[in-house]
Amino acid sequence: MSRREYPAPRLLLSARALDGASRATRERLLEIQARFHEPESLAVTLVKAVEAGAEGVLSSPSAALRAALAELDRTIPLVAVLPALRPQEYRLLEPGVEPLLARSRRDVGSGWRLVWRGLLRGRVFRAGDFAARVPLLLEAEASRLPRRGLESVVIAAPLTDAALAGGHRVFFESTARFVRGRFRAAAGFETRNPGVLLRRLREWSLRPDFVVGPVNPRGLGMKPSLEETRAELARSAVPLVATEVRASGLCTLAEGAQYARSLGAHGLALDLAETDEVSADLRRLAGEPRE
Amino acid sequence: MSDTPAPGTSPDESVRGRTLRVAVVGLGRAGVAHSVMVANLPGCELAAVADPRGSARAGLRGMGFAAPAFPRVERLLEKIQPDALFVCAPQQERARVTRIALESGVPAIVERPLARTLAEAEELVKLAAQRRVLLAVAHPLVFEPLFARVHELVRGGVLGPLRQARSAMFVSRVFAPHPRRGPNRLDPRRVAGGVVAHLASDLLFALVRLLGVPVEVRASWNLIYGAVEDELHGMMTLADGVEVGFDSSWSVPGYAHASTVIELEGREGKLLASDEALELELERPAAGFAAGHSRILEAEFDSPARFDFGGEALWLHDAACLAWVAGGPPPAGEGAAALRAQRVMDALYRSAAAGGRSVPVS
Repeated sequence: MSRREYPAPRLLLSARALDGASRATRERLLEIQARFHEPESLAVTLVKAVEAGAEGVLSSPSAALRAALAELDRTIPLVAVLPALRPQEYRLLEPGVEPLLARSRRDVGSGWRLVWRGLLRGRVFRAGDFAARVPLLLEAEASRLPRRGLESVVIAAPLTDAALAGGHRVFFESTARFVRGRFRAAAGFETRNPGVLLRRLREWSLRPDFVVGPVNPRGLGMKPSLEETRAELARSAVPLVATEVRASGLCTLAEGAQYARSLGAHGLALDLAETDEVSADLRRLAGEPRE
Repeated sequence: MSDTPAPGTSPDESVRGRTLRVAVVGLGRAGVAHSVMVANLPGCELAAVADPRGSARAGLRGMGFAAPAFPRVERLLEKIQPDALFVCAPQQERARVTRIALESGVPAIVERPLARTLAEAEELVKLAAQRRVLLAVAHPLVFEPLFARVHELVRGGVLGPLRQARSAMFVSRVFAPHPRRGPNRLDPRRVAGGVVAHLASDLLFALVRLLGVPVEVRASWNLIYGAVEDELHGMMTLADGVEVGFDSSWSVPGYAHASTVIELEGREGKLLASDEALELELERPAAGFAAGHSRILEAEFDSPARFDFGGEALWLHDAACLAWVAGGPPPAGEGAAALRAQRVMDALYRSAAAGGRSVPVS
C-alpha cells in the first residue's frame, strides 16, 4: 500500500441508516426505513443525490438497495460496505469471520457452492484468519454487487474494529490489495474508532484508499477521543470520509460539515437519517469550499 | 494496548506502572468483546484466553490476537497467573469456571447471570468472601453515562419519595435470520432462563441497585418458541409498598437494538430515561435542573470510552472492574450486589412458573 491508486470520494449519500448502522434514534430509523420501503422512493432519492453533487452512495448492497438500483436505467456509483449484514445479524452470529463465511456459503448459488467448497478446503485458506478468509468472504459477497458502478469496497466496522483491536496489520494490508486487484475499486475501511485506526495505519505505514468514520464538533464517536482523533487527522496520509457530522442532531449540517473539513476530513457522507432534504443539503455541501 | 488513560476510568491509575494481565475464558460474542476491551484498556494486557472449541480459539487468533490460547481454564491458570479472569463460558459451565478461578485466588468478572441457578450463585459469592477474592458480574447498563446519571439523580432525591415505577427492555431477536430458538438452542437444563436471564437481567440489576430489593414479586411469561420465556411481565413490590413494573421481550418487532426504558414518578417530579434521552419533569428546581420539563439527549452525555466495540458501556464496565482489581473502589456489579438481582430474577421465575402468584424474594 505504498501509493494510492484510487481516489477517495469527496461527497457521498449514505444509506447506512437503512442497514441499521446508524446512531439515529429508533423512531428516526423506523421512519427512514418506512419512507424508503418502496424501491422507487429510494431510487428517486439516489438519482437526486447524484444530480445534487454526490459522487455515489455509501451502503451495503442490501436487497433494498439492489431493488432500487434495478429500477434505474442509469448507473449510480456505489461505495459498497461488505459484508452486507445488519447490526442485529452480526449480534446473533458467533464472532469471527467463519460464521460470516458459512452464512455467505448458504446464500451463494449451487454452481458457486462447488467452487466455494474447493476454495475453503485449500490449505492456504487458514480457518479463522481474517487476512486469509475475508477475501473469500468478499468473493462470496460479490454476487450481491451490481454489475456496473462499483467504485469502492469498504470493509464493515465490525470486521475492521475486530482486526484493529487485534492489531492485525496483515489483514489491513492484504485486504486493501485484494479489493483493488479483484474489484478494480478503491479499498476502504469503516470504523467506529477513527482516531485509533488512523494512528495504527500510520504506525504500520499502510495506506488504504480511505477510511470511513465519525467526525463532528461534539466528538461523538471519535474514539479514542476528540483531541487524539483531531491530531491523527492532521498527521494522517490516509483520507477520511466523515460520517455522523451532525452528531445525532446536536449540531447543524453546515456546522458539522465545516468542522469535519476544517479538521482535514477528505470527504463527507451524509446519511439519510441526517437529512430530510437530500438534494438541497447535498447541493449545499457540494458547493461549499474546502478549507 | 492504548497508552493514554482517560481520567478516572482507567485501571492503571491505581496500578502505578504495573500492567494488569487479564485472561478471558469462553470466546463467544461476550468473550471476544471483553478481549477487545482488555486489549484497548490503558494499563491492561490480554494475557491468555481459553475455550474448549478450537474454532473459537482460531477465530480470536485470526483477528490478530496473539495471546496464548488454552482449551481448559485449569491449564490456563497453571501456565499463566493472570491478575483477573473474565468468565464468559456458557451458563451451565459458568459456576464451575468461576469456582476454579476463586479457589486459585484469581479475581473473576463473570458474564450475567452469575450462575445458572441461584444456589450456585449464592455459593460463589460466599466462596469469594471466604477466600477474599474479588468477584463481579457484568452488568454494563449501569455504566451507560445516561443511566449512571439517572442513578445519581434518583439516589440524590431529585424526585422525592417514589410513588411508582415502570421499566422495559425489548429487542427483536427472534425476528432475526438466526433466532435463538429451536431445538437445542435454549435448553432449560443448560441456561438460567430466556429473555430475562440473557438480556433483561441487566435492567433488573439497575432497578435493584436504584430502588432496593423488592419484598415480593409476581410475574407472568410467554413461552412462544421453546422451553424458556420469550416475554416476561413482572410487578415488584418494594418494602414501602411502591410497585415497580418490569416488562421484557425479545419477541417484539421494530427493536433492532436492545431498548431500555425506566419511568419513575415521585412526589417532586417524574423521570423518563431511555437509550435515547433523559427527561425530567420537576415541581421545583433540583440538581441543576430548572422546574418544569428538561430533556438531555443521549449524545449529550460524556463518552469517555476509548474504544467502541458495541457501545460505550462495556469499555466503562471493564475499566471499572479492572480498576477494582488494581486497588480501586468496587464497581457496580460486585458479587453481593449482583446476587441481590439474581435473587429477584429467581423470584420472578418462580412466580411465573406458579401461574403469577406473589412470591417473596429470598
